[in-house]
Amino acid sequence: MGEVILTMNDIDKSFPGVHALDHVHFDVKRGEVHALMGENGAGKSTLMKVLTGIYTKDSGTIEYEGKEVEFHNAREAQEAGVVIVHQELNMVGHLTVAQNIFIGREFKKGLKIDDKKMNEEARKLFERLNIDIDPSATMSDLTVGKQQMCEIAKAISHEAKVIVFDEPSAALTEAEIAELFKIIRDLREQQLGIVYISHRMDEIKVITDRVTVMRDGGYVGTLITKDCTKDDIINMMVGRVIYEEPKTKSLVPKDAPVVLKVEHLNAGKMVQDVSFELRKGEILGFSGLMGAGRTETARAIFGADPKESGDIYVNGKKVTINSPQDAVNNGIGYLSEDRKRYGIVVRKTIAENSTLATLDKYMKGIFIDKKKEAEVTQKYVDSLATKTPSIDQLVVNLSGGNQQKVVIAKWLVRDCEILIFDEPTRGIDVGAKNEIYKLMNRLAAEGKSIIMISSEMTEILRMSDRIIVMCEGKVTGELDIEEVSQEKIMTMATREIKD
Amino acid sequence: MNNGVNKKSIMQRLGGQKFIVLLVVIVLFAVFSIASEDFRKYTTVLQILDFSYYIVLMAIGVTFPLITGGVDLSIGTGLICYSLAGGYLVVHHGVPTIVGILISVLFGIIIGCANGVLIAVMDLPPFLATLCTCMITRGLGSICSKGYGVSWPTTGAPGSWFRGIFKLTIGNTKYPIGFLWILLIVAAMAFVLNHTKIGRYTIAIGSNKEAAILSGINVKFYHIMAYTISGFFAGLASIAYSAVFPTVQPGTGAGFELEAIGGAIIGGVSATGGAGSIEGTLIGVFVICLLKTGLPYVGLQANWQQIITGLVLIGAVLVDIIKKRRARA
Amino acid sequence: MEKIKQNPIVKKIGFNRIVLIGVLLLMYLLFCVATGFKFAGLPRILSALNYAYFLGFLSLGVTFVIATGGIDFSIGPVMFCSALISGYCLTSYGMPMGLALLISVLVGFCFGMFNGYLVAYWSVPPFIVSMASMNIAKGIASVFTKTQSVSWPQAAAGGWFRKLVRFGDFPMGLLIFLVAAVICAVLLNKTRPGRYILCLGSNREAVRLSGVNTKKWEMLAYVICGILVGIGAIFFVGAYTTVQPGYGDQYNNEAIAGCVMGGTSMAGGLASISGTVIGVFIIALLQEGILALGFTKDYQLIITGVIVIAAVYADVVARRRKN
Repeated sequence: MGEVILTMNDIDKSFPGVHALDHVHFDVKRGEVHALMGENGAGKSTLMKVLTGIYTKDSGTIEYEGKEVEFHNAREAQEAGVVIVHQELNMVGHLTVAQNIFIGREFKKGLKIDDKKMNEEARKLFERLNIDIDPSATMSDLTVGKQQMCEIAKAISHEAKVIVFDEPSAALTEAEIAELFKIIRDLREQQLGIVYISHRMDEIKVITDRVTVMRDGGYVGTLITKDCTKDDIINMMVGRVIYEEPKTKSLVPKDAPVVLKVEHLNAGKMVQDVSFELRKGEILGFSGLMGAGRTETARAIFGADPKESGDIYVNGKKVTINSPQDAVNNGIGYLSEDRKRYGIVVRKTIAENSTLATLDKYMKGIFIDKKKEAEVTQKYVDSLATKTPSIDQLVVNLSGGNQQKVVIAKWLVRDCEILIFDEPTRGIDVGAKNEIYKLMNRLAAEGKSIIMISSEMTEILRMSDRIIVMCEGKVTGELDIEEVSQEKIMTMATREIKD
Repeated sequence: MNNGVNKKSIMQRLGGQKFIVLLVVIVLFAVFSIASEDFRKYTTVLQILDFSYYIVLMAIGVTFPLITGGVDLSIGTGLICYSLAGGYLVVHHGVPTIVGILISVLFGIIIGCANGVLIAVMDLPPFLATLCTCMITRGLGSICSKGYGVSWPTTGAPGSWFRGIFKLTIGNTKYPIGFLWILLIVAAMAFVLNHTKIGRYTIAIGSNKEAAILSGINVKFYHIMAYTISGFFAGLASIAYSAVFPTVQPGTGAGFELEAIGGAIIGGVSATGGAGSIEGTLIGVFVICLLKTGLPYVGLQANWQQIITGLVLIGAVLVDIIKKRRARA
Repeated sequence: MEKIKQNPIVKKIGFNRIVLIGVLLLMYLLFCVATGFKFAGLPRILSALNYAYFLGFLSLGVTFVIATGGIDFSIGPVMFCSALISGYCLTSYGMPMGLALLISVLVGFCFGMFNGYLVAYWSVPPFIVSMASMNIAKGIASVFTKTQSVSWPQAAAGGWFRKLVRFGDFPMGLLIFLVAAVICAVLLNKTRPGRYILCLGSNREAVRLSGVNTKKWEMLAYVICGILVGIGAIFFVGAYTTVQPGYGDQYNNEAIAGCVMGGTSMAGGLASISGTVIGVFIIALLQEGILALGFTKDYQLIITGVIVIAAVYADVVARRRKN
């Protein structure tokens, strides 16, 4: 390990209503792999965006190679040698590997693009990194893992001195991860400074030299990886008790009837052999890290995406669900994590959104019974306390929390017995969050059954009667609220599947 | 060890769709030849080639907008408009033929560039913007020629040398040398598509525009460029049209774009952008040209060709869509 | 300006509609003055109305398609195809008039099914489908009529359908068109198909995840369009008697112009039937006025093209500002 190449000192950043980074400290040395860890929303990505100039910091300093610097955009950072390998792939599928690596800065021979030289340079680059990819292969023919390698190679080809890997392993197979680690070790040999962002505890132990943990936008501490245990890191990540009214006891009787039973559900890599039961009046929390396959499971149950195999029983009867239509007819409603894309029809009114799933019940002959529609909309605007001047307001003009209430109203109007809430409080401010929580508790008390997917530990602990933990497309644990602890959940959520 | 590359079938190695379509061309030619004695004549071959030049040229041009994921519907009526404008000056104002030709081409470039600005800068949907310029060029063409047809100088008349560009007469034999130029142009544009920034960024825009912008490419410029190329080739096509047909009539030209776009898509250009080749387009156009010329020889009206072209276009797109659905599953 | 927009009466009628009506009246005045008030006479107005009827049906139809976020520019040739096939049945096969009219609607319906099925169930891009069926329509019409033009009978010779266009001196066509527009407006705004069509044009995925069969309703929009185009064909021959195979393209643009000018958004989800009606009258008046001023039809093509570009660009700018 060499001297420090990059130091971020006392970095502070606020967004309206959120203190995103609270005087954070972070540094990287030449020839080390430094892990940056924390729950979703802890501020890791924000910190890296401040580093590469995508966000401007409010205060603090960045020192790079002994000089104070400030990058204004990703390009400036890149030219100075600080690059990020993003989680999402940014590749042009129809071009070759070499063409992608050098896009925007092609070698030219007169008018002609010198593909031969680009292939040659790419080959040299791959040799240096020990990557086995044909530079003239078409990008879309490669596996996702190989594409990720190309993205890494592209980053390195900018003469990088500091490379940030933002959850690089999310889409990789075991073998590909091994290959990735080989590359990272080589880069470390070559005295580059490497930042490694990941949720996977085992990877952290294997590949990193130091670990810095962040929590709620603040800096918690830095540890030498080989001197600490997995539990030390988990404790630093969760170490707080801030939830106000955690459920200590399940409110559902043990013999409550099972309303939804899922058996051996398979749908692609993200949903593997998922089985569970949901009882009447229960709030079943689905915990896990990002990319654990929870949303995919929900979408497969709901018929939004095709499934490969598995049985679904509603109230003990086996049902076939091949489309959202089937799901809705079986009394299942789904609140998507991405409200704007999948939840609301933004340019339509509250009334039109509320009856979207139930329109046939609000007809007078062939006409829509607008009076009845208005009545039912008003009823749910009142009972959910949706803040709006009128029910003819376009949904686009409502706040996030009130938009969410409109989506909930849509399913309540449909009288759905089973509700899947996918990240119900994402992008909603604290006050509105509490209202949504109260509402969910009320619905459960009225006998509705709720599956709640959440990445917020406090939310899971506060709301659930029972918790299912998923990791990498599989169910890795089931906990009753009485026996649950943050540590237990985190261990299950980061469990190594192999053993 | 498969190197991370999914294995290619033998078909793909042979050029995939291009190869199949080439087979179709050969089979069509064989079928028509067997079915009709008249079809086998040299003059028929000449006729097929004569009628193909302007469609091939349009198709080469429109390949670029198609690869960006857009379309150019203005090339058909545009071609007539450019030919009328240039021809009117030559016939009624005594302008030298070469100047008339240059005006035709320049007109095409201007309209193409205008399409590019409407689409790349003003964000209009490509089909809508070019549908409008399609109607506008139809009106303009008619206004340019005062509503009358224009006859470019006929063979033998002074200034008719341009007709020899496409068909050379030596002694009593006519040689379709236009096909030679077409091959040269195909080679040149294949080079542009595969080995220059213009081509590369055209593909990048159609395949992943977001990634292209993030790579620091001036996407708007290259997007406009794709439509300008299309306009330029519509201009070239107008010369081929003027050279082959005795008279150009205002109000015609609608439907030519279908033959060109259909040819390109049959030849492997993806209707959703990102992929395509100039060679493929050339072969695809010949499927349509053969149908157009060949059907009357087997006793079907020429209008059947319109129906069949439409169905073949849908068929080609469906094949593309089904392939993509399979790849995803 | 804001004050005017907030006025309750203005709000009720809709500011954009008032502007459109203003444009319509202003244009009429301009044409009157420019032609030395020759334009003011009834014949010109009736002639403009004749143009508005068939164009109106096309425009109403395409409003439904554009509301889904799609496009159909095969409507002009399909209208001609309807008129030619049914007319040929009438004149060459001696089919009864009522049946011929039914066939006209049926042909439009079939094309609507064809277009809608490919767009909704196979996700073929709408512009490809339009382009193909435009040519298929032209081809079928030509083959069916053996490339002959077809003339529908005059009123005296059993052409009772002309009464639908003009009943004595009464412009029956206007009445029928307005009734059709009211039905369309009710369909779009007060019934389930309309609600779903508008919603899926705004956010298809959200509607699908609400358990609605989006494919079915999207296809229905094209079918409605086809039926209206078939009816439009009847009014075309009612006014102009003769149809020639191989034409009809120009009406695509005019119909789309009437629709987008009236405030229907190319991005889908936002449509106004009353706007379309006023838009159609503007286009019809424009075409009559241009002819009255002694210009050729060509200028109308150009002006319509520019109008569509301007109207769509205005929508693009409005959407950009909202985001």
